[in-house]
Amino acid sequence: MTEPVTLTIDGREITVPAGTLVIRAAEQLGIEIPRFCDHPFLAPAGACRQCYVEIEGQAKLFTSCTTTVAPGMVVRTQVTSELVRRAQEANLEFLLLNHPLDCPVCDRGGECPLQDQALAFGPGESRYVEPKRTYEKPVPLSPRVNLDRERCVLCARCTRVCDEISGDRFIEMFARGAGQVVSIAAGEDFRSPFSGNTIQICPVGALTATPYRFVARPFDLSSTDSVCAHCAAGCNVRIDVRRGKVVRVLARDNVEVNDAWTCDKGRFAFSAPDRPERVTTPLLRGRGLEPVSFDEVLAEVAGWCRTGRVGILAGGRLLDEDAYALSKLARTVLRTNDLDHRRAFHGGRAEELAAARPMSVTYRDVERAEAILVAGLDAEQELPILHLRIRKAARRGAKVFVLHARRTRLHDVAEHVLVRPGHEAYALERVREALEAGVPEGTPEGRIAAALAAAGERAVVLAGPRLCEHPLAADVALALAERTGARFALLARRAGDPGALRAGVHPALLPGGRRVADAAERAEVEAVWGEVPTTPGRDAMGICRAAAARELDVLFLVGVDPLRDLPDAALARRALENARAKVVISLELGALEPYADAFLPAAAAAEREGHLSTWEGRPQPLRPARPPLGLARPDWQILVGLAEAMGPGLGFDSLEALRAEAAPLLAPREVPLRSTAWAAAGPPQWIAERVLFTYPLLVDEGRLSEGATELKAALEEEPFAELHPEDAEAVGVRDGGWVRLRTAAGEAVVRARVGGTVAAGAVFVPFNQPGLAANELLTGGFTVGVELQAAAEPSDAEPAAVEGVA
Amino acid sequence: MSEPTRIVTAHFDDPSVVSYEGYVRAGGYEGLRRALQLAPEEVIAEVKASGLRGRGGAGFPTGLKWSFVPQDTGKPTYVVANFDESEPGTFGNRELVEREPHQLLEGIAIAAYAIRSHLAFIYCRGEFLWPGSVLQRALAEAYEHGVLGERVLGSDYRLDVVLHRGAGAYICGEETALLSSLEGERGQPRQRPPFPAIEGLYASPTVINNVETLCFVPHILRNGAAWFAAIGPERSPGTKVFSISGKVERPGNYELPMGTPFRVLLEEHAGGVLGGRALKAWTPGGSSTPMLTAEHLDVPLDFESLQQAGSMLGTGAVMVMDETDCIVDAARRMVRFYAHESCGKCTPCREGTWWVKRIFERIEAGYGRPEDLPLLEDLAGNMLFRGFCPLLDGAVSPIRSSLRYFREELERHIAERRCPFSGRGPGLGTEPEPEPEPAAPSRPGPGRVTIPLSEVLR
Repeated sequence: MTEPVTLTIDGREITVPAGTLVIRAAEQLGIEIPRFCDHPFLAPAGACRQCYVEIEGQAKLFTSCTTTVAPGMVVRTQVTSELVRRAQEANLEFLLLNHPLDCPVCDRGGECPLQDQALAFGPGESRYVEPKRTYEKPVPLSPRVNLDRERCVLCARCTRVCDEISGDRFIEMFARGAGQVVSIAAGEDFRSPFSGNTIQICPVGALTATPYRFVARPFDLSSTDSVCAHCAAGCNVRIDVRRGKVVRVLARDNVEVNDAWTCDKGRFAFSAPDRPERVTTPLLRGRGLEPVSFDEVLAEVAGWCRTGRVGILAGGRLLDEDAYALSKLARTVLRTNDLDHRRAFHGGRAEELAAARPMSVTYRDVERAEAILVAGLDAEQELPILHLRIRKAARRGAKVFVLHARRTRLHDVAEHVLVRPGHEAYALERVREALEAGVPEGTPEGRIAAALAAAGERAVVLAGPRLCEHPLAADVALALAERTGARFALLARRAGDPGALRAGVHPALLPGGRRVADAAERAEVEAVWGEVPTTPGRDAMGICRAAAARELDVLFLVGVDPLRDLPDAALARRALENARAKVVISLELGALEPYADAFLPAAAAAEREGHLSTWEGRPQPLRPARPPLGLARPDWQILVGLAEAMGPGLGFDSLEALRAEAAPLLAPREVPLRSTAWAAAGPPQWIAERVLFTYPLLVDEGRLSEGATELKAALEEEPFAELHPEDAEAVGVRDGGWVRLRTAAGEAVVRARVGGTVAAGAVFVPFNQPGLAANELLTGGFTVGVELQAAAEPSDAEPAAVEGVA
Repeated sequence: MSEPTRIVTAHFDDPSVVSYEGYVRAGGYEGLRRALQLAPEEVIAEVKASGLRGRGGAGFPTGLKWSFVPQDTGKPTYVVANFDESEPGTFGNRELVEREPHQLLEGIAIAAYAIRSHLAFIYCRGEFLWPGSVLQRALAEAYEHGVLGERVLGSDYRLDVVLHRGAGAYICGEETALLSSLEGERGQPRQRPPFPAIEGLYASPTVINNVETLCFVPHILRNGAAWFAAIGPERSPGTKVFSISGKVERPGNYELPMGTPFRVLLEEHAGGVLGGRALKAWTPGGSSTPMLTAEHLDVPLDFESLQQAGSMLGTGAVMVMDETDCIVDAARRMVRFYAHESCGKCTPCREGTWWVKRIFERIEAGYGRPEDLPLLEDLAGNMLFRGFCPLLDGAVSPIRSSLRYFREELERHIAERRCPFSGRGPGLGTEPEPEPEPAAPSRPGPGRVTIPLSEVLR
């Protein structure tokens, strides 16, 4: 570590680490130096020149945002130096020359750094008498970001955040001098999933968000600090509500989690709970679905459960507390292990470990890593903020490798090893062999092995959802990490996934990753819960198969729509048709309307108190930005109500009591080292010549992004199939042409994208884009053998997906 | 008229030196040959001992600059020749390259050898189509004759030189902006430190020298440091190419020893003020150096003397104005240049030059106000040393020097409500009307304007 440095600012001494910027040191003393271009998460620019300070012994003034501290440095800010105060006034006069005085109609008015600092540090009056520069206003950079060039002070925060943080250099300064403007290349659209951050860090009202334009004044808003519930990245956000409606979401600074950023989905997809499709009263099927009271529905459902065999499917929306209540309800009241929150089925020790030992890898570990192996994850699309952290690590010199069937947006900072879907375990095994045998660095596996070995415990292995397709892939990755001492994490995508796994919304695992089948581990849970069923239950696809075979009577659908979410649409339909009673706990009915027998309205995340755990396993508190609409209730309360209707209850009736009970069960525990069977399993065998694989992109037809029209207009894509040039050539499909995909489950015609962006033999189709529900092509997993055929453009009348070949 | 020592322009009268053969016949590439027999450190020591100072404006000792380049970083090192000569009044580098391009290549090769670089760049101003073509041909010749490439002059030393044409921006003459532009980024200056010698092109140690500076290097190697150090004043040894233009009888480039009085340059070489008129003002080193007057006729042209006189040597581009020239108009045009060339990165430069330009435009057009003069005074203070890079300081020079030496002329413009030289303006006795609003700078917005290549090349 470098020596700390002591300096004096405005007569006060302070000691800071070497390399600290003067402006940061002043902040620590509570001295506010005005600034526009400076941002703590961006590299110093020195562009706006507002933060002048005087340094003793130096003739010129210095910008404190670019000057690092030196021992014995004597700094005077505007507080003690008249020269500095006058220089700052002069600079503000310059900045305001061409800035329009349209504050009364500007979205930023009232929360504008330029307005605030002009008031605090400005000259008050301008000596400028000439006409101001004018521009057409505003110019849309994308459907969600608007640029008003007159208001821009050209601090370049927006272009720098795109360059330094997301690497999406869509916008840039154009022209020069007083004619300089932020702009975008002709015909381009600001298609970055992080574009909203530019709006938030704009120090004036030059960049505005389409959904927030002219919607509110800052003093109209009531703001609540909460956590984004769109994915397991766990961005800290501020939810702004105006008259009971969420109108804006902003990122909050948290260096442990999201730094200062959030993705566009988190920022713009907030209107789903306010859509007319939302159902906020309990419903029960009589002659149709009829509104009734909670008590009536719960009593009816309790009746079905007393006599019937129950299976529970859960989605990714549940808060940690809901998951715990659901896990306990299933085991102690409904007496079943047939519950599952997953869509892919990892099993194995990696999953147990993830359930038992949270925080084995943190954002900070990623940021400080020297080597990162990202296996089976498209970080930008699945955990966007983790993607930013990996980029940050790469900027700090980390070697990053991506082992994935499709090229990811880390391509400019990481070496990609494109492996056929399902062959990840095999590729990882080759890395391990390279470690053992000292394979030369010439091969990608050799380079990964060398980087991991060199970094030791400063290496991170991140196992993503694609590794859960092969039963052993995640365990191979874990074994590899253990071999080199690297930190290891199994990543979940959806916000509720980490909490659900830890709470045991899982057929074979109880809270804390304790195995149902292991008497000793089960006993630890029974000590708190009482007796639980002893044989592992069915996983999600097993529950569907059982329901389809009429082996289950009551099907609970908690925040899940099997028709859309599970990787076999046909099976999901049969399950819904054949189960006797379907109980839906959700925000809306959607496609489940014809099937639901009972509906219990749940509260949305923005209306909730509770916790969500990040992919790291870090629980973060959510606070209600407004009360639940109508009669909607938090899921855990609904589940407690059902348990009480069944008789025994769950033993808690408040979040505090729930947490107190759960705490010892969810405390991190060591998982004894057990060998896994991967060594014996051998390389995976694929029967099909070509494999279709799919995963959801960031912005798709997911329920929680409903209503975010600007976001969808900007980022949602038409369905497509990404092919390797070899495969395309073999079947005579060209880039931009149409291709027919035929699997055992069905077929579809989509536009082909041909390029070296997928592994040979692999065909990527996004999971849930408008016009194609990829699960119509799936047979229980997210990969499936596929036949390709060149096709003609489908006519408008013909739907893209034609189901029912099998 | 004494025949002065000519070093870099010695062969200007011989058109054949533009070719490789002509250059070699005139003794070319002997300096490089000698350098290759020395160790790189010895080459640096030789240049250090010569006292050569950079001719690009700042006057930094060249040998010292080279010695800053670390050799233990594990990164490559680069040499960049700054041929973005764009300051108003300058045309010295241009003629050096047009007439004797191999002199520059030889200087580059010696510099590259001295810092153990194997890749050098020439950053050529975008508008220099012809000099660029001359360089292109010279490079081809140099490769053909084994001066560049795998084995430089038959030695084990390998060197490639890349010609990079800029897109026409004055700011790219600033070394960090030049590097940004060379890397394919926007030509805007970067934060220093790290200095280019430590982290320059592609974050690797880089030496950036002006064309004229590099042209002296072969001669120092050929004739020895002592020979060079003996020419001119002790602290600024050697000669300097002065580019004199404006109201003189014989404008052009004149290579004279450092420290030659301005009177000698003007009267003996440039033939005096045009038409025998009286000298009014002159810039010693381009528009970014404060204007001087007839009182300064005997100031020696070197770094120190000009600083004492309140100006700078700069690039040695002398612009001469006579008694019929309007200083307000001259200052307006100079400030307009800086407003046009400001890269836009920092506030005081972007907005300050623009504001001052409009004030000068107003005064020249007869719409000045008495309060404009103290305002200009104040704005100059708010701009000087407040910018990100020295471009802004250059813009202050015409403001300050016109206020200092020609305040009366500014006051006359305001009092008479017109330009006394051109007669333009509403004139006395009329009510000042609002100035017609100048057209807003129209810039290409997203997807609107595409500039055809023919326009760019015009």
